[in-house]
Amino acid sequence: MKRREFLKKAVVITGSATIGLDAVEVGETVHPIDSRKVSPIAFPEKRPLIMFSDRPPLLETPREVFTSALTPNDLFFVRWHMPVIPTHIEPSTYKIKINGEVEKEITLSLDSLKKDFKQVELTAVLQCGGNSRSAFKPTTNGIQWGAGAVGCARWKGVKLSDVLAKAGVKNGATYIGFNGKDSAVYSETSNFVREMKLEDLNDNVILAYEMNGEDLPYLNGYPLRLILPGNYSDSWIKMISNITVSNKKNDLFFMDKAYRIPDNDCECDTPDKKAEKTKPIEKMNVNSIIGYPVKESKVRNQSHIVVRGVAFDAGSGIKKVECSTDAGKTWSEALLDDGKEGSYAFRAFRYTFKPTKIGKLTVMSRATNNSGEVQPFAKDIKWNHGGYKYNGIDEVTLEVV
Amino acid sequence: MKKLLLAFLLTLPLFSQVEGEITVPYVEFPMKEGKGMYKTRGKCNMCHSFGYIINQGEQSKKFWADKIERMIVSFKVPMTDKDIELVLNYLYENYGNGKEE
Repeated sequence: MKRREFLKKAVVITGSATIGLDAVEVGETVHPIDSRKVSPIAFPEKRPLIMFSDRPPLLETPREVFTSALTPNDLFFVRWHMPVIPTHIEPSTYKIKINGEVEKEITLSLDSLKKDFKQVELTAVLQCGGNSRSAFKPTTNGIQWGAGAVGCARWKGVKLSDVLAKAGVKNGATYIGFNGKDSAVYSETSNFVREMKLEDLNDNVILAYEMNGEDLPYLNGYPLRLILPGNYSDSWIKMISNITVSNKKNDLFFMDKAYRIPDNDCECDTPDKKAEKTKPIEKMNVNSIIGYPVKESKVRNQSHIVVRGVAFDAGSGIKKVECSTDAGKTWSEALLDDGKEGSYAFRAFRYTFKPTKIGKLTVMSRATNNSGEVQPFAKDIKWNHGGYKYNGIDEVTLEVV
Repeated sequence: MKKLLLAFLLTLPLFSQVEGEITVPYVEFPMKEGKGMYKTRGKCNMCHSFGYIINQGEQSKKFWADKIERMIVSFKVPMTDKDIELVLNYLYENYGNGKEE
């Protein structure tokens, strides 16, 4: 309490900081930052990416990668919360524990997961709930991502339901908690523990050890991570060490305080008034990203330009992607790929057009999913305190020469 | 023969694609010189790089005060009132946008 008062006081020390009664602060949404360059330094198993921090590692995928349904492992974005991350995992001795409300507590080696359970494969989009957060003004809590805190991979592993069945979930169990090997500096800091409702468990929820046919990269959660298709990545726990079944919801900072949005129709609030009632971000909304052209690409007048990009949602599937070259006045349908990676995957799109005028030209992409959800213009997205769930119509401005 | 091959495959030991330890590169995020720089580095860099801070852009005094409060309340960084004052003034003077709120 004392600290809070101090902080409040600290803000008004210089006195003149009065805001007029009529100045109501309104949140706005613009197009996210698109000018960052990749870092000259490559991280382990990665090519150079846009880098925000080395500790914990925070790496964003540059726009030009988003032209195909699968994102290469070495270009896949990285987001950790805790600074202490094991730099060595011995696969032959690595074990996960399943405990809590189970008939018998079990520990499973990687070897056992690979041999004793049915192997499954599923392609799914992994996206940070704060992807494109730099679009929100005033600045909201968290990393000021551009549009690249997202990727899509083919995950291979075992069904979480099979693993839980082996331990035997007790009657009355309601939640499944996941903890990874990363940890905080101070023992008082909450670990990055997440929980899901047992009723949300389905056959698409898997514990994956492979990503695009290779071991998971360390920075993407080697040797095992949770795959929760359709959901934002906050629950896709990396380097899983422990799965705990409970018969009640536990008090967890990263469930109760972080990764939440206002529980109202617009999922929005205002900078000076935080919504009291909130809900977890959970399901991803419909979105698209243009991979080519990129900002300031130079193209010849009257030449054939092929716009390429990806679109995705929470699993209802992409119905169409439209592109516009006249600031959104008219839209033309893009060609979609065959969709063979499934409805949780990126759907690659391409759109061909011929510029007819020299000068700057803005290309936009707008996705519609099978539930009828359409991407809004950036300016029509409502502001929220966490800067979550941005899904504005994407745009890049190129130069016709 | 096929069975033999299968048996051989199943007994392959597990290898990770990276041998030994990985090394996450240390990246220096230069801090502007100023009163409170060492205190700010000491408190903030315990848990995260300075990059984690500067990606927020230049911000108001209230913004930085809210961040410090969040670090204390939510993430339990131990800070005295004197520490708070030093760090807040350092952030605002060097990474401020000139606005109180």
